[in-house]
Amino acid sequence: MPEPSVPAADQVLDCTGLACPLPVVKTAQAIKGLAPGQVLELLATDAGVEPDMRAWSSRTGNELLSITKLGDVFHILIRRVR
Amino acid sequence: MMWADDSETKVLYVQTHGVDDPGRSATPFFLAASAAAMEFEVMIYFTMYGPSLLRRDVVDKIGPKGDQGQPLSYFIEQATALGVRLLVCQASLDLNDLAMDDLIDGVEMIGGATFNDLAVSADAVISF
Repeated sequence: MPEPSVPAADQVLDCTGLACPLPVVKTAQAIKGLAPGQVLELLATDAGVEPDMRAWSSRTGNELLSITKLGDVFHILIRRVR
Repeated sequence: MMWADDSETKVLYVQTHGVDDPGRSATPFFLAASAAAMEFEVMIYFTMYGPSLLRRDVVDKIGPKGDQGQPLSYFIEQATALGVRLLVCQASLDLNDLAMDDLIDGVEMIGGATFNDLAVSADAVISF
């Protein structure tokens, strides 16, 4: 269950089991399929995905809303900004 | 100037290792794909033994972990699908007894002046 303050995702991208750089690459592709303002939820198990998605969001100007680790899976919410 | 957009962040990778060292073959493609996903403009320059990695009769037959895992072509396509450009020069083709026809499609020919121009105008040059 997402926290009340966290918006529901418009699309879920399952990258569990995929290694670097695939979560970043697939997120970059998936976010282009969303409209500005919509939210992507990335599911990933790659150990480096948290700093990677922070760097990716900062460089691309997309908004990193939250990173939550549930078990082995990182749930990362990103809002497409432009 | 071969960089398409002066306002973008630009990264130039240099790959000097070839088919004799498969463990060093894929990482430049990984990093280039990551950089392109960050909306950087990215090129990889293959020099010394590097052009041998782009042989069309080789890319499906070698990979960073040998018979385990994906072939090199998988990592090349991952990078080029994101817009990463692949560059060689004639002297390094000669060193490896290769012609452009021996290489996968889409590889671009440059020379030493172009390489240096790309290097000084890039935000980062990363050499392997």
